[in-house]
Amino acid sequence: MVAAPHTGPPRTRRRSGPARPSGRGPARAGRRPRAGRSAWAAFALLTAPTLIGLGAFKYVAIGWSFLLSLSDARGTIAPGRWVGLDNYLTLLSDRTFRASLGQILLFTAFIVPVTFAASLGLALLVHRIRRGRAVLRTAFLIPAAVSYVAASLLWKMSLFNGLPTGIANTVAGWFGMEAVPWLQTTSPPLYWVVLVTLRLWLQVGFYMVLFLAGLQGIPQDLYEAAALDGAKGLRLLRSITLPMLRNTSVAVLMLLFIAAFQAFDEFYNLFNSGLSGTGAAPVQTPLVHLYNTAMGSQDYGLGSAGAFVLTALIVGVTLIQGRFTGFGRKEG
Amino acid sequence: MSAHRTELSRRRFLGGSLMIVAGGVVTTACSTNPGADASSSARTTLNVWYHAYGEAGAQQAALRYATAFTKAHPDIAVKVTWVPGDYTAKINATLLTDAAPDVFEIGDFSDALARRGQIAALDDLYGSARSDFNDNAIAGVTVDGKLYGVKMIDDVMMLYFRKSRLTEAGITPPTTFDELVAAAKALTTKTGKGLFLGNDGLGDSPILAVRSNGADLVADGKVAFGSPQALEALTGLRRLHEDKSLLLGYTTDWWDPSALTQDVVPMQWCGLWAMPAVKTALGDDFGVLPWPAFKAGGSPAVRVGGWTSCVNAKGRHVDAAKKYVQWLWIQESGLQKDWAESYGFHVPPRKSVAAGAEKLSGGPARETVELAAKYGKPNPGTWDTAVSDAFRAAAAKIVGGQGDPAQIMAEAVDRAQTVVDKQRG
Repeated sequence: MVAAPHTGPPRTRRRSGPARPSGRGPARAGRRPRAGRSAWAAFALLTAPTLIGLGAFKYVAIGWSFLLSLSDARGTIAPGRWVGLDNYLTLLSDRTFRASLGQILLFTAFIVPVTFAASLGLALLVHRIRRGRAVLRTAFLIPAAVSYVAASLLWKMSLFNGLPTGIANTVAGWFGMEAVPWLQTTSPPLYWVVLVTLRLWLQVGFYMVLFLAGLQGIPQDLYEAAALDGAKGLRLLRSITLPMLRNTSVAVLMLLFIAAFQAFDEFYNLFNSGLSGTGAAPVQTPLVHLYNTAMGSQDYGLGSAGAFVLTALIVGVTLIQGRFTGFGRKEG
Repeated sequence: MSAHRTELSRRRFLGGSLMIVAGGVVTTACSTNPGADASSSARTTLNVWYHAYGEAGAQQAALRYATAFTKAHPDIAVKVTWVPGDYTAKINATLLTDAAPDVFEIGDFSDALARRGQIAALDDLYGSARSDFNDNAIAGVTVDGKLYGVKMIDDVMMLYFRKSRLTEAGITPPTTFDELVAAAKALTTKTGKGLFLGNDGLGDSPILAVRSNGADLVADGKVAFGSPQALEALTGLRRLHEDKSLLLGYTTDWWDPSALTQDVVPMQWCGLWAMPAVKTALGDDFGVLPWPAFKAGGSPAVRVGGWTSCVNAKGRHVDAAKKYVQWLWIQESGLQKDWAESYGFHVPPRKSVAAGAEKLSGGPARETVELAAKYGKPNPGTWDTAVSDAFRAAAAKIVGGQGDPAQIMAEAVDRAQTVVDKQRG
């Protein structure tokens, strides 16, 4: 999907070269209006369900939410008591929300490169082996199908619980370490171990598959040509594989950024203590904070304002990233 | 971009279909319509929500009450929905929609619901029974002079301890905070901790600490947990953490007695509701205590929570809903007694019903009821998620030793005061 352009230039030229002048041009020009109309009809027919769905369930909701963000909407989702930018000001002056923004930036700065490197590394390894590739690929992809909630419960109750009999503590015990409450230890912040391993386990397989698709799209003759020139090992990786994976990498990077900023599930489920919520959690992502604001305190105006602040942040980061990595730019 | 879309739609699709399946399971499993036979003649169907009580038999009892009500009022059918998970969030979200329940219970009554006009005033339901409710039950649901709910049960939360474990260690049940810290430390061994307050290491303890040193949480719309006494007691909690005497990250949280009954800890903060389960597991080998006074001049504390029945003011069947609440929680004292003592133990908020509850009349259950009468305090009505989160987050930082306690608390007070002002204004 993402890697398609790589294979593009040489092959298309070869294929379309001789076929072009065989009188197709004028015939197509003559049919264009009718084809256009029926094409439009087909386009409308095929996209209408999605567009209507998107419009009704996404854009109307987004617009509504924007109106709410400008209203005093506590215990109601009817906009109308306009307060201008009050909600935004309240939110940005709220230390907890600002702290949550800081924490998510930190989290992103860490998890994105780590996930990226891990999935690229795995993809390179899996791509190289000859036997059992499909089995390995499936094995790594399966966690991507596990829900964050299920995985969080597994991590919290079985792997990283605070008892000496927890799996992580048992393993640590073999090396003579004392049993620790992983999620509750704030100095050093051991809870990050739980959060990061969980996200890696769930995500790496999926991005590995994207990289694998990219790797399979790299024409073999490039490697052969390079081999003839005497290139091998790291040189091949640096000069052929990585540059040819650029588009895949850029897309993966963008997806990782967005996924990191939207982190909610594992933060909520790992720290949620049922009746008392996530108020005392050592780290709150912006979405967790907003969830508590909207669903707990029923302040939907403030919650909506936060959603827009977060969206602005994601859009901003994506644009900056696009500028630096050249996402969507045509292949030179 | 295409990859992103595929990923999202895959997730959404899975999520969506799971939700549909789960919804189906929930509707078939949890919401039953006992009035179904009678519903051919019933003109209205009331939708009644309960949070998922953990004790066996509670759900069946709720259904039985509903059937009995329909028998007494053939024109009103009752559909009981048993709601697992984050009950507060679900209630809050559903109240904005047409699917909102007509009657629902809330734990720790929140004034904000009444001030926003989401629940109906129920003064006229009480009649002469009003004086029969205990003071906390009336004061707790009073907002601007009107009663906005009927207290169904009082839940008392207190400290359980294993008598035998304490005797083995040569410890007497702690009566001061210093003794509690010492006992928790002495009972901590290489394989087990001494005290379980909650998986996050806090549970109710910040609230109890404040109360045990003569301080208050919110008084007359003024946030009071920033007072020097409150700060002193909260900072004191740090000792339990520094000693590493607290059980953290257990598989069930403090409101479930498993840690105590499975001999993982010898002391646990839990509730009266768990007493039948504790008794089954430990026999007579347990006792109950209040949270001890922080120091001389302070007072022991127990928390009184519980559940309150409310009527959705914007529902379609407000009158029928009122009739249901009046019938079940004011008239039918037999059912109230059944609800309070037949499944988990709870204290009936009506004095006459409480006096007749045999199972609460002896042993540790009786002691708990007495503790509640003597030291029990409910959370203030302004104690909503935002206020509680501000307080708990600050307490977590203080006991974790991150930063200057006074400054952390001052910031939390500011945040909480803004919320309280908004609620009242």
